[in-house]
Amino acid sequence: MLEMKRRFFLAGTAAILAAPSMSFAQSAPAKGGTLKISVDQAASVIHPLLTRVNPEYMITELLYSNLTRLKVDMSIEPDLAESWTANDALTEWTFKLRTGVTFHDGSAFTANDVVATFKAILDPATASPGRNNVGPIADIVAVDDATVLFKLSTAYADLPVSVAYTNARIIPASIATGDLKSLSTKAVGTGPFKLVSYEPDRLIVVERNEKYYDPARPYLDRVEVQVFPDISAEGSALISGNIDIISTIQPTEFLRIDGTDGIDALRTPSGQFCNINFGCDTAPFNDARVRKAIALTVDREAMVGFVTEGFGTTGNDTPLNPSYQFFKSVKQREANIEEAKKLLAEAGFPNGLEATLIASDRPAVRTQLAVALREMAKEAGITINVQTMPHATYLEQVWKKGSFYVGFYNMQPTPDGIFKLLYTSDAAWNETRWNNKDFDALVAEARGTTDEEKRTELYTKAQEIMNEEVPSIIPSFFDVLAAKRSWVQNFEAHPRASVFRLDYVSLSSDAPKRG
Amino acid sequence: MTEFMKRLLKTPQGAIGLGLVVLVLLIVVAGPLVAPHDPEKLAPLARYKGPSLTYWLGTDQYGRDIFSRLLIGARATVVMAVAATIVGTLIGALIGTASAFLGGRADELIMRTIDAVMSIPSLLFALLVVNLLGSSTVNALVAVAIAFAPGMARITRSVALSVRKQDYVNAAIARGESSAYIIRREMLPNVIAPIIVEMTIRVSFAVMLFATLSFLGLGAQPPAAEWGLMVSEARRYMHLSAGILIWPSVAIAIVAVGFNLLGDGLRDALNPRT
Amino acid sequence: MIVYTLFIVSLIVFAITQILPADAAVMMLGENATQEALDALRQTMGLDAPIWQQYFSWLWHVVQGDLGTSLRTGQPVGPVMFEALGRSLLLAVLSIGLMLVLAIPLGIIAAVRRGKIADMLVSLVSYAGVALPEFVTATIAVLVFADWMKWLPPTGYVPLTENFTAGLAHLVLPVCVISVILIAHVSRMVRSELVDVLHTDYIRAARLKGIPRREVLRRHALRNALLPTITIVALDVGYLLGGVIVVEEIFAIPGIGRQLIVAIQARDLPAIQAGVLIMAATYSIVNFIADILYAWLDKRIQYD
Repeated sequence: MLEMKRRFFLAGTAAILAAPSMSFAQSAPAKGGTLKISVDQAASVIHPLLTRVNPEYMITELLYSNLTRLKVDMSIEPDLAESWTANDALTEWTFKLRTGVTFHDGSAFTANDVVATFKAILDPATASPGRNNVGPIADIVAVDDATVLFKLSTAYADLPVSVAYTNARIIPASIATGDLKSLSTKAVGTGPFKLVSYEPDRLIVVERNEKYYDPARPYLDRVEVQVFPDISAEGSALISGNIDIISTIQPTEFLRIDGTDGIDALRTPSGQFCNINFGCDTAPFNDARVRKAIALTVDREAMVGFVTEGFGTTGNDTPLNPSYQFFKSVKQREANIEEAKKLLAEAGFPNGLEATLIASDRPAVRTQLAVALREMAKEAGITINVQTMPHATYLEQVWKKGSFYVGFYNMQPTPDGIFKLLYTSDAAWNETRWNNKDFDALVAEARGTTDEEKRTELYTKAQEIMNEEVPSIIPSFFDVLAAKRSWVQNFEAHPRASVFRLDYVSLSSDAPKRG
Repeated sequence: MTEFMKRLLKTPQGAIGLGLVVLVLLIVVAGPLVAPHDPEKLAPLARYKGPSLTYWLGTDQYGRDIFSRLLIGARATVVMAVAATIVGTLIGALIGTASAFLGGRADELIMRTIDAVMSIPSLLFALLVVNLLGSSTVNALVAVAIAFAPGMARITRSVALSVRKQDYVNAAIARGESSAYIIRREMLPNVIAPIIVEMTIRVSFAVMLFATLSFLGLGAQPPAAEWGLMVSEARRYMHLSAGILIWPSVAIAIVAVGFNLLGDGLRDALNPRT
Repeated sequence: MIVYTLFIVSLIVFAITQILPADAAVMMLGENATQEALDALRQTMGLDAPIWQQYFSWLWHVVQGDLGTSLRTGQPVGPVMFEALGRSLLLAVLSIGLMLVLAIPLGIIAAVRRGKIADMLVSLVSYAGVALPEFVTATIAVLVFADWMKWLPPTGYVPLTENFTAGLAHLVLPVCVISVILIAHVSRMVRSELVDVLHTDYIRAARLKGIPRREVLRRHALRNALLPTITIVALDVGYLLGGVIVVEEIFAIPGIGRQLIVAIQARDLPAIQAGVLIMAATYSIVNFIADILYAWLDKRIQYD
């Protein structure tokens, strides 16, 4: 079943099984046409190694390729790598590369490009957000033109998944070791599309890469990514047929367009969540009792209604849920105001406490969560002042620096991915500064464990520690929502929310013709 | 005074305007006392309700009573707008009167500088100021006040210039009174009437500016029941329940139209010729 | 005059962007940058120099036409901003055009038929115009004319050069939303100016001489009443540029207002500086032209 499908990225079983362009479901997808897809945030950065948000990931996914890529069921399929194997200790991984692939500038793709790309990502000077997400890579060597060898610092079972990370797009060695900055304004990748024009706040246009390694794909001639600063306007544009796909739609807009003729509302369960981050090194949040007390005020069922309009599931203050592999649930936390008051008194706040919770305004659900928490916490004598700010301001001033704010995170491909992104001491965005050694050790041990049951057990223990210590409150998970016109075929909402697979999308004959 | 009131009430603008403004002020004073529900209390089971006997104007996205929120939010909305206008006017009036009194080079320099400041659109100016100070209600007030000051300075100056030529000012100068005294005691009182007219109309601009700042995420902070914030939040939910958007909009419109009408009525009453 | 204005504006803008809590070097390199990289960049950008030195070096570049490089996108700010300004000006010119076509006749009708039903109706329209903030009017307009009636495209921007009819169709709603408030303002001004003029002695005299009412209105009253309208419209450009910010945000028009919002929110200092400076310059130039036009027309009227 689902678990089985996910398993095949493991050493040995990885194969050409999942050769691309094998969609026999209907007649072969029609070629040609221009797809207009909307995003709700500017794609300010198109440098593939430096992107941070979903619209940016969408652009670089169109223009570049990874070694592997995530399918909609969260399992991986070959991209620039055709197959991969590991040694028994899971410390050395060998990837066989596709041959005859060329970059947009005509130069040939070889193992050297892979080596140079990963070295650039790992170089602190590059400041790539993906630096800690591509795996514990100690060294990478080109064995021959079509083979690379990753030498890891610790055993790591998830490497084939982690090289699919949104920042691990392969770039030419000449640029990776030369003028790396030049990719901020141009694109040289091996992806299915080539960059035509780039206006970060309005419109990004790409056209078919005729030399893409799969002659069948992409089906579209052209993709136009349009930026909509206003989500209501975005919904209107889809209803009027001015755009074909809304890449990410908010629950309120989803309810609005659902049921409209000619529009398909798309929904998939996911591990995406909004959380309340505590700076665990800052008073009063350095006391686990305070954090737990606040967590105990949350009515999680009601929260699912307030923040997702019902398009979500309850959370348990750990980032894992049934959408993840190796998941086993730990005891669900229920609201308990008496217990919360007791913990607060023990922590030295018998009369409650006051704190300012910061929420950026995009997506709007952050503010919704903050306001709802404010009212729920009131009952335990906790006064929360909500402060909103524009998203960009938040990113520059509060994110990773603040001690009490609302975060919003995509589902990661693996439990290791989300733990190493946010919660271990060496996490890429260690915003909670929780730094729990026991937790770190469990996550590290799981990395080198192939036995699935053992791994599940380790992650469950890690979850239990988190649930007890509450470095962040995770009240609910979101379903990933998207919407498309019915004339768009083969587009699905992806649980990861940052993967779009537009090279598989095609337009049916009743799509409007656009010059 | 009664004579003036009579003239004000004779014009339809004055009568309706005064009526609306009095109504709004009544809500400001008594609103929180008569509000039937807690404006911040969440009600997970009563979200997006239409008007009913319990909830006269329905409920919003958190199941909060819209009617109570409007009653309580009147203070945040109207008092802030009036306060910002008054502060802006005071700053402007001081600069304008001083400039007119000083005359010559100083006047020229002050007015040119005012022109320069005015060349930055007031919304943009307010945006910059709020960004500088951080978003909060008080900072928004400061921003709107600062944005209003140059325009008011200009108007005050032109009124003050005509006052400056009057005999009683010259008499004071002849008496050897200090500049500060003359500006404060002789000139300011006489420029006040036209300024009040301008101020009244500007209150509605201030309401708009506050609302727009909220729309851009830089105004009042949730869960405040400030009407501008209510409208801008409502835009996300309007497809689920139109009332969330409609009622605060109506409330804003009443304030804006009320103060505008009153301003026009005052102008007519103060200037009997037209 | 304009030079002085712009000098003051440049001082204000530079001061604000200096105090804004943002670190240009951190913004450029991102949050994962190392300390050494930051220090090196600060040095190359001249951020370690004294403030006044930074100001003059910035001003010197601006005078030469170099508005700097965006911290957010790494692209030069000038071309982006001027392209955006072009789009905003198109929006502004169309809005002023529509406004003049509607506001002046409305104002005249209201003044001539003062106290009558027509006057009341015009007042009603103008009060409705000032009753709601643009973002609400815009929301309602999109809801009614795009979502329900399906007469017009809801949002977005299509360059006129790319597709003229589609481009124009996309501009209808934003232009209407902006003009509504201007119409309210200007029609009221026209009305009160005209009412004033109609009460002056020489108009009474002209009427007493037996010149027909229509003739008096057209030859004498209107000219004098419409003259101040030029100044009003020029001053409204400031308001227009502000309103454009909101309207562009809702209708996803990539004009200078939207560029500025994005720049302000991202603390993209060079872009903020350039955007504010360009807006202020536009406003000053329009008012300068209006002054000249006013003086010229005023002279003509007096000699007439």
